[in-house]
Amino acid sequence: MATDDVYVIGVGMHPISAAQTPVRDMAFHAGIAAMEDAGIEFDTVDALYNGYASGPMLAGVAIAKDLGLTGVPITHVENASATGSSAFREAVLAVAGGHARCAMALGFDPSPASVATGGGASAAMMSSFFKTSVESVLLPAAFFAMWAVRRMHDAGTTVETYAKIAAKNWNHARLNPFAQRHADHQVTPEEVLASTMIAYPHTSMMAAAVGGGAACAIVADRQLAEQVRDRTGHALVRVATSQSQSERYTAGHVFMGAVVGPAELTRSTAAAAYEDAELGPTDLDLVHVHDAFPVEELLYYELLGICGDGEGDKLVADGATEIGGRIPFSTDGGLIGRGHPVGPTGLAQIWDVTQQVRGEAGARQVENARTGLAHMMGAGSVCIIHILQRT
Amino acid sequence: MSSRDPAGAAVQRLPLEQGYFVMPDDENPTPRLIASYSATADEYFFPRRKRCPVSFDAVEDRLLSPRGTLYSWTWIANMKYGAMSMGGEPHGVGQVDLPEGVRVQTRLLGQMGDWQIGMPMMVDLLPITKDSDGNELCTFCFRPDEDQD
Repeated sequence: MATDDVYVIGVGMHPISAAQTPVRDMAFHAGIAAMEDAGIEFDTVDALYNGYASGPMLAGVAIAKDLGLTGVPITHVENASATGSSAFREAVLAVAGGHARCAMALGFDPSPASVATGGGASAAMMSSFFKTSVESVLLPAAFFAMWAVRRMHDAGTTVETYAKIAAKNWNHARLNPFAQRHADHQVTPEEVLASTMIAYPHTSMMAAAVGGGAACAIVADRQLAEQVRDRTGHALVRVATSQSQSERYTAGHVFMGAVVGPAELTRSTAAAAYEDAELGPTDLDLVHVHDAFPVEELLYYELLGICGDGEGDKLVADGATEIGGRIPFSTDGGLIGRGHPVGPTGLAQIWDVTQQVRGEAGARQVENARTGLAHMMGAGSVCIIHILQRT
Repeated sequence: MSSRDPAGAAVQRLPLEQGYFVMPDDENPTPRLIASYSATADEYFFPRRKRCPVSFDAVEDRLLSPRGTLYSWTWIANMKYGAMSMGGEPHGVGQVDLPEGVRVQTRLLGQMGDWQIGMPMMVDLLPITKDSDGNELCTFCFRPDEDQD
């Protein structure tokens, strides 16, 4: 569906952290921040899409009771890591389809420490790590480690390359006040390699930070977006495309467990996104990806067409994906630095891309950023891509 | 199938889960994974499918080859998710390509350093726990196939 006339009018976040902040407080904070950013009140919102992976039924209804009882249609969305991206996509489609003039996507999840005692989807997922069933969820660090080992075999990628990507994202996170990881010094690849081994070749500093948080994005039609622009002074940010795909059968398809999807899923979803947006990879100024582990970011350089197959290592060596480089990736720290609280993660990407293309990203601003891509995987089996562009 | 406990007594070995593999017997000296075969797509799938995901037609059970080639591997040194430890012993995990075109994600027998991509692998049994009758409940795993080195 064409999203040509859908615009991001407001974004807001609650910091991501391991603290056991009540999720209702974090979600309220993010929702209010997004509405303040847009200069609207909750009675302007025609549809609310809540994204969360851990929590009771209808958690979004409880949060809406705090935001306001307006009769707004409320829907709950879950798509593993792509939950927030999926909530955003539903909001975009509601406006694109003419069902809402203004729609809010709100992602929230508690830190796993509080999930462990409180139940919920993440607790169920974590308990499944213990199981030895053929269909159990494999530890994510291990699944992506097999990608990493295979990449080392196929392309000669070194552990130092993985460490350099992780260090970059730790250092990008130092520029993001909402990030979970805040190193008090410039992180080096050597430091990353020296941290605790989780699943070879992944060390603890290569793994996504796991915490709680909340993020919110509000989209609207052009008329309302222009009113918001005139009132707030924010640039118009158009949703150039919204794409979602799941697995197709491929050679060597792995069916066991939930974290199974083929890397090629990103290539086909990106192709659809570029075609729909009438843009190509050279039009992008910054990119966000599901960088739960550095091998993912490395492969996505190639699968998104930023460089040719097998050329990702050179991008890393040249520093091309750092802020200040040719095509910065994970400018807010990504999953490794900013953190991966699941429900909010995809919306945290939208928060950063929106601020970047508006020119409001502060210390992490990419110079002259106009177009940004946000890519997210859900359990490796769902791929969602949005491209946002300042108009 | 049976094995011996430390005191030398026979211990019955049973599958931890039904429907994924058959236990060794007189005909098959190793466990054999059970796949679904789609005649219309000419493809094998493991674990078994309810129908062919390519053609949507019916599938039938077939036993897969016990030997394959290691596609990739890792050594899980710490079962950690974020700051939370899941406990458990370090162990190997891998993906093994079988001649029928199936890639199996599996526990690996051995230690860090034992595996190389492309090496021949053989299916085996991995005891997981015991039931209330003292039977050993097993899943499948793969180990380097010394016979093919």
